Amino acid sequence: MGTEISDEIVKVEALKKTFTLSKKQQKIEKTSATKKVAVNELSFVAKRGEIYGLLGPNGAGKTTTLRILSTLIKPDGGDAFVCGHSVVREPQSVRDKIGFMTSELKLDGFFTPDYLFDFFGKMHGVDNETLKARKAELFSKFGIDRFAEVRVKDLSTGMKQKVSLVISIVHNPDVVIFDEPTNGLDVLTAKVVTDFLQELKTMGKSVILSTHIFSLVEKLCDRVGIIIDGKTVANGTLKEICGKTSLEEKFFEIYKNIKGEEV
Amino acid sequence: MKLSALMKKEFHRFFHDFRLIITMVLPGILIYIIYSLMGGVMNSSNPADFHYKVYVSGQSQATEIIKLAAGEGKLEYIYVSDIESAKQEVKDGKVTALMVFSENFDEEIDNYSPESELGKPSVKIYYRSGNEESFAFYNIATTVLDSFKNKFEINANANERFDYSETSDMAKSIMSGILPFIVVIMIFSSCMSITLESLAGEKERGTLATILATSVKRRDIALGKILPLSCISAIGAASSFLGIVLSMPKLIGTTVENFVGGFGFSSYLLLLLLIVSIVPLIVALISIVSTYARSVKEASAYTSVLMVFVMVLSLVSSFVPKIGDWVIAIPIINTVYTMQNILMLNISVWQCLVAIGLNIVYTGLLVFAISKMLSSEKIMFGT
Repeated sequence: MGTEISDEIVKVEALKKTFTLSKKQQKIEKTSATKKVAVNELSFVAKRGEIYGLLGPNGAGKTTTLRILSTLIKPDGGDAFVCGHSVVREPQSVRDKIGFMTSELKLDGFFTPDYLFDFFGKMHGVDNETLKARKAELFSKFGIDRFAEVRVKDLSTGMKQKVSLVISIVHNPDVVIFDEPTNGLDVLTAKVVTDFLQELKTMGKSVILSTHIFSLVEKLCDRVGIIIDGKTVANGTLKEICGKTSLEEKFFEIYKNIKGEEV
Repeated sequence: MKLSALMKKEFHRFFHDFRLIITMVLPGILIYIIYSLMGGVMNSSNPADFHYKVYVSGQSQATEIIKLAAGEGKLEYIYVSDIESAKQEVKDGKVTALMVFSENFDEEIDNYSPESELGKPSVKIYYRSGNEESFAFYNIATTVLDSFKNKFEINANANERFDYSETSDMAKSIMSGILPFIVVIMIFSSCMSITLESLAGEKERGTLATILATSVKRRDIALGKILPLSCISAIGAASSFLGIVLSMPKLIGTTVENFVGGFGFSSYLLLLLLIVSIVPLIVALISIVSTYARSVKEASAYTSVLMVFVMVLSLVSSFVPKIGDWVIAIPIINTVYTMQNILMLNISVWQCLVAIGLNIVYTGLLVFAISKMLSSEKIMFGT
């Protein structure tokens, strides 16, 4: 795949990732196998300006897939392309195009939003002038400007989350990758996140998110890929996948067909 | 720009947190207080108050010169013939010292030449180094007798015991021996207080993963941590160094001017360079552990083990007698060993420079290892 920009902003092709299990992990997973296939020939495509959701149970391979897309880990097989750049061969180019965020992210409470925005901007190589303009725009849009000089530890949970979200797009990336964006958040903070994701869409950004929350997918995602045991078992718009049934019903139906057991 | 932003963040974190600054400066203050107090206890006597009562066997004009050097009315000689009883009295602390001159000592000195077949005339001084008065007399006597160097020998018989100090009297020399050990441990504590939070904390909070997802190079992340943390820790090291310089004179019972003058500028410079060179090495060692750990708590546990290891290495150098020069190849031990040599005025510039150079090389290797660790999926994400 060349570097020309097509409608397919993220393309995942037969991605494969296997982990070696430690004794401790074998105990947790209740298996004697020393290897675990986390992602198995996974493929999907996300289009420009859409929110694409990876839906699956815990351990399905969602986080691994997003970490590969974010160039944090390398696949054992297959490849993925972000804005035409291979995550395997051109990780630096991919990093310039993506914003990565996980719900586990907790900013250092000592710093202010203003400082952290500048810091992460510089990490992405954004020049001072652009950074200043971008900060003014995003802080104003998300209501952070009044708290710009307040230390993160003194901010409300919702505001902390907003700061984390804004920092992930400091360099104006084309693609924003969110791993479990609302996981562990209270309803108010979760709303901050979902509003933010919708705002990103209106800003023309492409969003790839992973979740196990059906309502989040139904509310936000233009298209969805259902992952079970590291494989894409369904892919398309909600209508294409579910027809007239709900996403939850459809998911458990697919799960039963694949695993041969009820949940 | 990215490296400088990473470095600035660490400096900003430190210089805007009063508690961290205190943590850095505290070791030096503690060294100063502890050593000053110990010095105060050990050096409760004033040399001006000493009155030396010295047994002498044999005759020499040198005794009069020693008397002049000791000060008017400060030295009383008692001539004895029973040497064994006199030795016992020195041992028991009843007299200051015993000087035994060979028969016809002065005549032998006049007639002695290196070509002569006769042996060198000799003088024996029995004393107790742990007793301030006895040790002060020994120093005065040897200083005077040294002016006749090559004419005779002082305490030449290696198999005979001249210093009657008890083990407990050796506290002072032991303290000098463990000083480098204490310095290393103080530096380690300073480095630990800031390094753990900086790397393991970032990893635990998930901010390190966010940084790794940017286009910044892993090497820059490693350097962006090690360099500023080393500079900050160097403040702690400088504090420890100042603590030593200001407290050592009190420990050995002299003035700062005399101590600094006797020790020499080059010794201080080498000591400072050694301390400064070991700081990045310790920061890098803790960073390795911090990068490997999944949380600050885990990193603290690992670092405690590392600290015990460093303590053992430092103690080996402090207390293993006749350790060879080859130890300068071993990190930590090399610095403690070289610091000890400097403090014992047994200075070897090349040894210091090799130790400093090796510390820099080891730090470089550790920075390289940290960059590799930051790229490791297993270490960063446990996969």
